[in-house]
Amino acid sequence: MSQLGDFFDNVWVDAFWRLLVVLVLMVVVVLVLTYVERKVIGRIQMRLGPMRTGPYGILQPIADMIKVLLKEDLRPATADRVAFELAPFLAFVPAFLVLVAIPFTEGWGVRVLSLGLLYFIAVSGLPVLGYIVAGWGSDNKYALLGAMRSAAQLISYEVPFVLAVLALSMLAGSLNLVDIVERQGRVPFIVWQPLGFFIFLTCVISDLTRRPFDTAAAESELVGGPWIEFSGIRWSILYALTEYTSMFALTLLGSLIFLGGWDWPLGRDLGWWWQLILIFTKTASLILFIMWATATFPRVRVDQLMAFCWKLLLPLALVQIFLNGLILVYGWPDWTLLLTSGLALAVAGYVIYATLRVRGPVRTIALRSGA
Amino acid sequence: MLGVLRGLAGTLSTMVRKPVTIQYPTVHRGLPERERGFPLLLWDHEVGEPFCTGCHACERACPTECISVTMRDNPLAAEEKSKRRKIVGHYLLDYGRCVRCRICVEVCNFSAITMNNTWRGHELSRYDRADLVMDLEKLLAQSKARQIEPWVAP
Repeated sequence: MSQLGDFFDNVWVDAFWRLLVVLVLMVVVVLVLTYVERKVIGRIQMRLGPMRTGPYGILQPIADMIKVLLKEDLRPATADRVAFELAPFLAFVPAFLVLVAIPFTEGWGVRVLSLGLLYFIAVSGLPVLGYIVAGWGSDNKYALLGAMRSAAQLISYEVPFVLAVLALSMLAGSLNLVDIVERQGRVPFIVWQPLGFFIFLTCVISDLTRRPFDTAAAESELVGGPWIEFSGIRWSILYALTEYTSMFALTLLGSLIFLGGWDWPLGRDLGWWWQLILIFTKTASLILFIMWATATFPRVRVDQLMAFCWKLLLPLALVQIFLNGLILVYGWPDWTLLLTSGLALAVAGYVIYATLRVRGPVRTIALRSGA
Repeated sequence: MLGVLRGLAGTLSTMVRKPVTIQYPTVHRGLPERERGFPLLLWDHEVGEPFCTGCHACERACPTECISVTMRDNPLAAEEKSKRRKIVGHYLLDYGRCVRCRICVEVCNFSAITMNNTWRGHELSRYDRADLVMDLEKLLAQSKARQIEPWVAP
């Protein structure tokens, strides 16, 4: 028995089985998410979603996987071979690497990094490299346009994303994800930082290039993002696997740093399975909200997308940092955090409302006489 | 901002509504009484023979010429079990050519032919076009099994 224990204490073996667990978890989550997304969006559109494969279509992701694996692996004749074949992995590997730094329960993660948040932010921005390489390598102007758009969008939205997370880590006084979760105690940070959470969630939706921020993959203008020329398993890695893994990782981060992770509201004495249930419930609710938003909103224009980031989210994130600094320096009570952040969120809401409001009488198109 | 919230509320309300999908091959929606499927011949259960006498009225009226009928002497009339002296011999109806115009039903003097108002009058996919040519036996089978009621005009 002690020999077995020694075997598992070996650094390489330890790293290997932890990575294996996370890899399996990721694949399962991606399969489940493809199914759940089709079901949820189907129900929102008053359809049933997949129903044929297995009871309630539950085997649909398996069928999709087999189909994607068996498809022909096409490569355009003029494509840059190295770039084209490398791109899916350049996009997917960083998306998976992010999961390495995430503590799933109090004592279990692949590695608990003391600068976990920094690592997360740094690595979660990397898939855009894969998109650019894919767009460039496939020798297709629409793919390149999609890649340029996604690069511009992801880099722009990274800024308020980082600032919102930074404002939060000011409160926690740490970049270690475990510390941040434990610092939240009885009240999760979403209560003290509603504005920060709003910015975070918007940037997450944008990072995933989902509606209303899916200009990079806009089917009706660009045919379909940087992955136009990809098919079969390469498309699946570049698009489905990367997107859903990123979605899983980003919502996990959100539930850790904003929603209290495994700690709130049950405390951390209940054992690891309760912690797992808690964190996955929070993650699932965030994912369902993102799918809900996907099914609701129409796409914004490129200029609106950029304006929303640079003119609204970035100043608000800076305001949030400024307010937090003020309150921390002068040691004002916690409720001032909620007050100021909530007020700033209300201001943000009003600005969006005032921008979108139709001024004057609503224009109507006159009917021709006799029509 | 209000519009954003209103949009979210809208999708939430449609999400809890019942889906409108009918899973067609497993679930069949009810058809109206006057549904116009392909024509069928009717079986006289009292005597035990078709109503059709092979009078060629439908054959002459058919605009696409998809019907061909022959007439023969009725053996049951010789035994005085039936009042029909003549009865249909062969009846061939090409569903591939039929345009479901209902003229054959209108012209039939014996109410021997009717439009199929069940799903079996629609689900007629075949691998070979020749399989769509129905003979007397196939045309009578549904009525013989009492799986169709002749539709009465209002």
